[in-house]
Amino acid sequence: MKRRRFLKASALASGSLMIPSFLKGYDLAGNIGNNSGRKLVIVQLSGGNDGLNTIIPFQNDIYYKNRPSLAIPANKVLRLSDELGFNPAMEALRPVFDQGQMCILNNVGYPNPDRSHFRSMDIWHTASGSKQYLQTGWIGRYLDNNCRTCDMPYHALELDDSLSLAMKGAKKSGFAMSNPKALKRTTDNRFLKLIAQKSGAHTDPLSYLYKTMIDTQSSADYLYEKSKVHRSRLSYPNTPFAKDLKQVAELLTADTATQIYYISLSGFDTHAFQQRTQTKLLQKYAEAMAAFIKDLRQNNLFDDTLIMTFSEFGRRVQQNASNGTDHGTANNLYLMSGKLRRAGFYNEAPNLLDLDKGDLKYGIDFRRVYATILERWLETDAKGIIGVGFEALKMI
Amino acid sequence: MLSTQDKIKHLSWRGGFGLSPKEWKEIKNWSFESYVQHLFTKANRAKHLSNDYAERNREALKKMSPEERKRAIKEDRALVRTLNAEWVTRMASAEESALLEKMCLFWHGHFACVSKSAKLASKQLITIRTHALGNFRAFVQAMAKDVSMIRFLNNQQNKKSQPNENFARELMELFTIGRGHYTERDIKEAARAFTGWSSDLKGDFKFRRRQHDFENKSFMGKEGAFNGDDIINIILDRKETAVFISRKIYRFFVNETLDEKRVSAMADRFYQSDYDIADLIRYIFLSDWFYERKNVGTQIKSPVVLLAGLMRSLEVQFEDTFPVLFVEKALGQTLFIPPNVAGWPGGKNWIDNSTLMLRLNLVAYLFNAADLNFKVKEAFEAQKRNKAIRKIKAKINLNPLLNLPSGLQRQLFFEELSAFLLASKPELSLKEIAPYLDQSSEKKFRASLVMRLMSLPEYQVC
Repeated sequence: MKRRRFLKASALASGSLMIPSFLKGYDLAGNIGNNSGRKLVIVQLSGGNDGLNTIIPFQNDIYYKNRPSLAIPANKVLRLSDELGFNPAMEALRPVFDQGQMCILNNVGYPNPDRSHFRSMDIWHTASGSKQYLQTGWIGRYLDNNCRTCDMPYHALELDDSLSLAMKGAKKSGFAMSNPKALKRTTDNRFLKLIAQKSGAHTDPLSYLYKTMIDTQSSADYLYEKSKVHRSRLSYPNTPFAKDLKQVAELLTADTATQIYYISLSGFDTHAFQQRTQTKLLQKYAEAMAAFIKDLRQNNLFDDTLIMTFSEFGRRVQQNASNGTDHGTANNLYLMSGKLRRAGFYNEAPNLLDLDKGDLKYGIDFRRVYATILERWLETDAKGIIGVGFEALKMI
Repeated sequence: MLSTQDKIKHLSWRGGFGLSPKEWKEIKNWSFESYVQHLFTKANRAKHLSNDYAERNREALKKMSPEERKRAIKEDRALVRTLNAEWVTRMASAEESALLEKMCLFWHGHFACVSKSAKLASKQLITIRTHALGNFRAFVQAMAKDVSMIRFLNNQQNKKSQPNENFARELMELFTIGRGHYTERDIKEAARAFTGWSSDLKGDFKFRRRQHDFENKSFMGKEGAFNGDDIINIILDRKETAVFISRKIYRFFVNETLDEKRVSAMADRFYQSDYDIADLIRYIFLSDWFYERKNVGTQIKSPVVLLAGLMRSLEVQFEDTFPVLFVEKALGQTLFIPPNVAGWPGGKNWIDNSTLMLRLNLVAYLFNAADLNFKVKEAFEAQKRNKAIRKIKAKINLNPLLNLPSGLQRQLFFEELSAFLLASKPELSLKEIAPYLDQSSEKKFRASLVMRLMSLPEYQVC
């Protein structure tokens, strides 16, 4: 079964753009217009990647007992520390880890975890609590708060045909595009330019259509010009995911005004016959990322780029009867950059002796990771975006 | 309040896919009550679909060589695309029941399920058609035994020795009662009741006794040796289910923004009728509030509604399945491949910068594909270099539309056409649009006006 894309809450749909209550009255004045020159690339593994079979606790008997047919044998694991190592399919990323340019956070999650894909993905996208329903995404709110002087939607760019909830703010949203040339072709049209002059007094949702149209016309021109500046000569694997990353590398090299890039790889919902599927996917992921990082390094961009990879949840410790795993809770998360303050494993391996009804307990709230990125990488005040109480970590 | 004509237009889009020009000419003069009646009469008389797709026999597949197997699977996938395009063609056809097809589209999004084989997809669609305007209780029970659904939600792997909760969870979260009305324990117990609900190699439902858990379960405060049907009955005995489904129907047919007063009236009725779907839909269509301003022209057409609607207005005929599949995929709604078990989120989620541009350009692409030979070339620039769009082959019959207001002067033609095609008056005047029209003959002038009006953002809403 494939759940290829995930529910994007009918956010924004009502037209009543809700501002999360913790933001009400929050002083945004000191928050405008900083651009550290740093770039952020977010990689989403959709479907709930099995973290325990990605970063493997190869010394742990409980792991092997719970996964009689799924566990990766210790002699196959690519050892990274005394107790943890990569799935062999992740081989391409090993040099990145060895060179201290990767930080692995274990047990990232949130209290009262939700095991539904869409709900958990929404929680990750909106940076909400488990019982809290927000209609804007964390990147969207970053655009709202930090980027009020920046009118162009391509400040945050998703390489996809449609835009994720994470990228939707109350006033501003990111931009979705699968490739700049195709986008440009669709906007080059005299009649559309005539229509654009008539964007006056419409009501919702028609007004939304007009605004989107006008934003698209101006963004298409810009991105198309930028995409012609640099062609990567590096060879990337021949997969759509790798092509997307190549596009990102080219735009980054062209010094595009886009600060945040968002890209997904899906198919991780491995309820049955997990091994084959996950191996393929992890290999796709690792090989494409390795090429991307090489490209960034060659263009001296890796120091100013931070890549965060996450999935909406991990999977149960115990395998199911169909050689797969069911929806779980806490998971590992990877940060990669040429300039990490702390690389390797950030915290302790999952404790398989202390489970919550067969599921891992979280040790790091994912919103602390967001806070870290917002404060220490994008240099903005995270409180206005994800609320208070999420202390930044110290790996960047 | 709306004029009767506007009421009919509203209903034709919400309860169907708009009207063909011929239908419009006739029906716009009816009372809207007779139009409601007409929709249901046609639904009752709709033809049954036959499932003549060959079974994809897994045993036979196993015996094939890898190449043969690959080809067989490929052919089967192509049949799913045929099934898809045929369905959209039915939606667009004035001969078929628009209401029934619209209901099926709604339920397909509700019981969202990815079907990879033609036989299973066709079987599921027949089940949906059978119950789309029938009884929701019987409908849920039939879907729980639907093989495509069983495989999609891993109930195939739900065994007494190791229950798989996937189906039980989605049954409650998405198909019936909604979040907040059950516990994690309820999910575990329900999963036990559905153990052994499986399918055989031929693609038929099979109850595997040895995998079924016949022991007692404790579910939603009740105790008993429940099976799957019992679980569904217990869930539907709770009124929250009627409320949950009413909300979803309200969002789809009336307005994305809920009006809880209306929803609660709907839910009362739905619950009291023991889940009679046709009764609920008729109640909505005959309610004054359905035609309030806030509910008219405020829905963004879903990709399939947009496509079927313009096929109906322009009498489009495609040579093959490609154009339907291309448009669905590019705009984010491929039938039989919903994004996940929650279905298509809808509303503004259909729209982002890239999908909007294709929507606005779509009619121009179709006109060009149909070789109507206009001098409005710039509209087709994108097409020349886009391989996929170039592959679209279509025939369009514009005559009914051009004769809609026959012999009228241009301004009246513009107004009549706008009243038929658009939910609201266009912002642009005929004078402003005229420079972008083909002036070489009166017919071409009018035909290119059709194209321009259907390229307005106003055409995207209903």
